[in-house]
Amino acid sequence: MTQVGTVSEPFSHRVLPYDGIDDFLAGAMPFLRDGIDAGDRVLAVTGIGSEAVLRDALGPPGAGRVEFVAPDRWYAHPARTLADCLGDADRLCGEGRRLRVLAEPAWTARSPLEVLEWQRLEAIVNVAFAGTGAAILCPYARSLPAGVVAAARRTHPETLRGDRAVGNPGYMDPWAYNSLCDRVPLPAPPDDAWTLTIDRPDLYWLRAYVTDYARLTPLAEEDLQRLLVAVTEVVTNATNHGRPPMVLRMWVEWREAAFVCEVTDAGRWPAGSGRGLIPPRPDGPGRFGLWAVRLLCSMVQIRTGDDGTAVRLRLRLPSVPATVGARGGSTTGGGGG
Amino acid sequence: MHWASKSPPAAYAERIHANLDGQAMDSWIAERPVNEIRPGDHAWLAFSGEEQRAHIIGDFVYDGLGTEEKVVYVTDAPADRLPGVRPRRGIDLCTFTHTRQLRVIPRERACLSGRGRFDPDRMLRTLEREVDEAFDQGFRAVRLTTDFSWVLNEPGRSDITQMLGCEHQFGETVSPSTMAMAICQVDKHACPADELDALRNTHEVLVEVNPEFDDGILRIVRTFEPHGLRVEGELDAARHAVFAEKLSLVTCDRRRIHLDFSRLGFIDLGGLNLLAHHATGLPTDDALVLDHLPPDVENVIEMVGWHRLPGLARGQERGMAS
Repeated sequence: MTQVGTVSEPFSHRVLPYDGIDDFLAGAMPFLRDGIDAGDRVLAVTGIGSEAVLRDALGPPGAGRVEFVAPDRWYAHPARTLADCLGDADRLCGEGRRLRVLAEPAWTARSPLEVLEWQRLEAIVNVAFAGTGAAILCPYARSLPAGVVAAARRTHPETLRGDRAVGNPGYMDPWAYNSLCDRVPLPAPPDDAWTLTIDRPDLYWLRAYVTDYARLTPLAEEDLQRLLVAVTEVVTNATNHGRPPMVLRMWVEWREAAFVCEVTDAGRWPAGSGRGLIPPRPDGPGRFGLWAVRLLCSMVQIRTGDDGTAVRLRLRLPSVPATVGARGGSTTGGGGG
Repeated sequence: MHWASKSPPAAYAERIHANLDGQAMDSWIAERPVNEIRPGDHAWLAFSGEEQRAHIIGDFVYDGLGTEEKVVYVTDAPADRLPGVRPRRGIDLCTFTHTRQLRVIPRERACLSGRGRFDPDRMLRTLEREVDEAFDQGFRAVRLTTDFSWVLNEPGRSDITQMLGCEHQFGETVSPSTMAMAICQVDKHACPADELDALRNTHEVLVEVNPEFDDGILRIVRTFEPHGLRVEGELDAARHAVFAEKLSLVTCDRRRIHLDFSRLGFIDLGGLNLLAHHATGLPTDDALVLDHLPPDVENVIEMVGWHRLPGLARGQERGMAS
């Protein structure tokens, strides 16, 4: 359980915009050294190049106190990264220690949808870690697309300039930022998506239907089992709180290598209802439904409004040869091969 | 002799029993709940304790008496204290002995030699006599049962050859019968495991307790060693209530509860929540033990984190004998 106040410093989440390596070191080094001196658990999530520079600057004793983590491992999955990192922060906080993370997100190889999810996470971090006393510093190269750096100023309360933290005037309330991420409507499902109107409470049949479709795609068996748990949760939720008609649709987006499973209903979620973005605290049984759904899928997209509610579960498909893609494409018409 | 010569009354429809996954069991012996025992079944019950026996033999006896079948129990106990038969409210077993629908035959008259030793031939003759009588009386079937543990414990018993021979003959007589069905009881702890296996293999049916619930999608069966439930099939919100009810049923006496998930095909997040909620409400700090977790289920639990499901503990690995 989070014990506010056992760590003397408050939680901080700062952006470090930098031009070149000197700029980077000027911000990162004091941050890491402060952590080493204070006995924090210090992590540095950076590419190989930055790691070498940091190790050199810290010298062997200092570098030995910092855990270096490869970005592709750290930034593998937003919900899982948040759960693991927050778990560490909570545990350390309980021990009276602080988690300190230098975390440089990897932006370049990501699709626009993935970028959006990591930006959403940057905002949610401010809610999730409040009270843990954790210190998170996120270096952003100024050479990144302007939109990425601009978004960082909305999702980080402060910017680090030299050794000074200054407030970001553009910083947004995390939930407002979250809504902003969802302001664009979801593209319509393809016409030939597999469609099932859900009109009986027994979800056994629904899972059989999902399995039938999934077996026509390259979706891995392990992911199918996770999808079945996820879709059962979403449909159960819609049954309990939504309004009929409830419809399940499935298709494949070959260009994105994504299996998509959408559940819609005519209801609208009340304002302030959880989106499953914050991991439940491990101090007792709580509702972890939608949060667990996020863990189980590659990505979850939610839209709710006067037109009803749509929850889209996306699972990454293994890279498949073009021939398989073409075959599958003719099955679903979900995109090119 | 009416073992196989007559057509049975139409009470027993043809029954096809398969496990939920459609797979064969690990041996050729069929596993069947007691209410699915049919004429021609020569069934085996190696019980671990009185509670298990009471559930199975109790149902076997009362189901027979309730459907106008004859029940033959070879034991020295009086009718109102039959081993494993829990007295039931409003049913006086002695009234059934008066009508000879229930025959409680002492061992001395059923299967002991003049020297007081087990006599397999006499046992067979006794059963043939009882079946003939049942036919003449107009009963549609005969349920036979006895506890053979005492034979295994007889002083001076050299090996189980005699017992195996008896079981073979017994099986050859019952199996083609259209009237007779039998459950051979043995205390699981009465003889070494290899002998127990050899005896078991002379039967075609392993009888087990009636499921607490079975609607074709979800099946819940009580287990006794260890104490708990076996959950088969798929569990989601449509069946949370019945599952919670059955879980409460085995939550008693501060006994640790084991859930055998070896045949669980699916459990939803609400089901996991339900388990954790139940575990935190247990009177002691005892955990709810999940045995034989299928990889898919374990994968989901690990993703959510065992620490978010307090009170749940990983039990035996999948595939290991319980």
